[in-house]
Amino acid sequence: MMGKSLLTCSVAALLLGTGSLAAQETLKIGVADALTGGAAVYGLPQANSVEMAADEINAAGGISVGDETYMLDVIVYDDKANPTEATNAVRKLIDRDGVKYILGFCCSGATGAIASFIGYEDAVMLVGNAAERSITTQGLTNLVRTRPPADYTGAAAGAFVARQGHKRVAVLGALETSFYASYVEAFEEEFAKSGGEVIAHEVFASKDRDMSPQLTKIRAMDPDALLVVGYVEPAAFAYRQSTELGMDIPRYGFTSGSEEQFLRVATTEQMEGVWDLRPTELTLQSTTDAGLAYHEHYLERFGDAPSPSSPYAYDQAWALKHAIEAAGSVDDTEAVAAALRDLKIFPEAVMQYRPVNGKMFDDNGQAYTANGAFQWQDGHWVFVEELPSDPEAYSEFLSSLN
Amino acid sequence: MTEILQQIINGIAIGGVYVLIALGLTIVFGILGIAHFAHGSVSMFGGYLTFFLAAQHGIPLALAITIALITGMVLGVLIELLAYRPVRHANHINAFIVALGLTMMVEGANLQFFGAEQIVIPTGATRVFSIGGVTLPELRLYVILAAAALIAAMTIFVEKTKTGQAIRAVAENRDAAILMGINVQMIPLVVFAISTALGVAAGVMVGSLFAIAPGVGEGLVVKGFAVLILGGLGSIPGAVVGGIVLGVTEALAAGFISSAYKDVIAFVVMIAVLLLRPQGLMGRA
Repeated sequence: MMGKSLLTCSVAALLLGTGSLAAQETLKIGVADALTGGAAVYGLPQANSVEMAADEINAAGGISVGDETYMLDVIVYDDKANPTEATNAVRKLIDRDGVKYILGFCCSGATGAIASFIGYEDAVMLVGNAAERSITTQGLTNLVRTRPPADYTGAAAGAFVARQGHKRVAVLGALETSFYASYVEAFEEEFAKSGGEVIAHEVFASKDRDMSPQLTKIRAMDPDALLVVGYVEPAAFAYRQSTELGMDIPRYGFTSGSEEQFLRVATTEQMEGVWDLRPTELTLQSTTDAGLAYHEHYLERFGDAPSPSSPYAYDQAWALKHAIEAAGSVDDTEAVAAALRDLKIFPEAVMQYRPVNGKMFDDNGQAYTANGAFQWQDGHWVFVEELPSDPEAYSEFLSSLN
Repeated sequence: MTEILQQIINGIAIGGVYVLIALGLTIVFGILGIAHFAHGSVSMFGGYLTFFLAAQHGIPLALAITIALITGMVLGVLIELLAYRPVRHANHINAFIVALGLTMMVEGANLQFFGAEQIVIPTGATRVFSIGGVTLPELRLYVILAAAALIAAMTIFVEKTKTGQAIRAVAENRDAAILMGINVQMIPLVVFAISTALGVAAGVMVGSLFAIAPGVGEGLVVKGFAVLILGGLGSIPGAVVGGIVLGVTEALAAGFISSAYKDVIAFVVMIAVLLLRPQGLMGRA
């Protein structure tokens, strides 16, 4: 009799145990991003922010799908912002690790390579900082992007610089990178409407650190202002070297670098007065409570302030959680992708998104934030004003390119 | 005219760095016949070490550089003893393979000890001097002066000291040098110590003028070999002239033709020099 009771208890315990295992599962999500190399200034903070978001989601009870709860397990691979490395990383995530949701993607070259085949995969791709327009013009239903395209911001920047009264602007930048080129193209188009002219298009590569020859050439052309577009590090060298060449003209840029990142290269005196014309991203003076909490948690956990663009990836993780819960499945990637496109802006979002038709992502899978003008003042980026931007109109334009 | 002068000034500072790299390579190649590919990575090690000591441990910059130079000399001696000496009498391909392997090892060690992030050595030299519209940043002035001082010291050492004469003797004729009583076991150690110290100096200059990151050393050693070929293999004056010519050509090409083809144009000039003077600008026919 005693033996029978023991057996019954054991079976009950086993069933209970199995029941609790079934109720709490693990969902592996992948991150492919630049953890090393020149683009790590964008990629590493993105990867960190996905891990931080996953921990927060897990601490808040995970992702609820029916009776089951999924805890997130993040697998991170370094794609070095290189298309081949990115392809290898994503293939490993899908084929070996069995991941269906891939986040991160700071840089356009690597992201474009993945976008070229992700449409054939049973997976959902959430793109962060990569700003090349064509990523969301390919009609990929299993891809969304949290950052607006570069030309959406470039047009607003062109109008802003024209309003400052400049007529002749010299451009120095990574113009061989298509999304920087598209920023400048949109800038130039808008700037020309006010009678402005871009008088020089000087180029640097992402690994270049000596821009003195290009700046010397620009100095001889006597422009009203300088526009620097490129990754933080070469841009910081361009600002530093422009002061070393005695160039006393307004300097504008499109970099999205944090104060710490710029100060590793240039002094605060060399940066004084520089403008950054970019999506508003994470700006402590204008952010929400979610943004302040994000900044505080990131600083506490990683010891460094988060880069302004890093919340694009943080928001991906929360968007994915809400979409999976709305779809009611972790396996049905089509349903999750559709739920992402139906998603409304959620309270945990750090970036200040502008909805299109009431939704976070438009039909192209593209999200939009406001654009802003920031100026370096006394060692800090100061939010000066919002740049007029029209997400609805841009979304229509983007759809026309499909 | 101001623009041309400014571009030349820009180019001389970079050329100074190329000269130091090329000098380190040329004495090793001229005396031991080794294409020391790891020189760029060793040079970056010096820059990293200086940053580590000065920026992370608050050691005064001059002292940090001195420690890095001495460490570099010791490292050079170890490289010669442990990596190249065992294959000295073997086929040249062995030394070539050792050089490649050493490059990977030093790069890996740099990555392991100092991380993958770009670093910039803080110097505090931010003043700018201006003469007739031509500007010269304080840091570039120091780089030019330091490069000039090191070149002069190297020349005096090789030309005027007994050890320098011994080095030249081994380079001219190793067997005759042995007959003259020169300790030919010691000379390679001295050569590697000097070569690595010059490389470390170049690494500090790159790290303060620009930045140090994984991969930068490889680019630098390619430029160093280009200077070697341009100036003449094994020629010390050739390395000086070649380095300055390459630096100034790059600056002028970027300023007056296209920044996108800066490297290409510099190498086109190098090929042109080789077509006209296959032995290089200062090499012996």
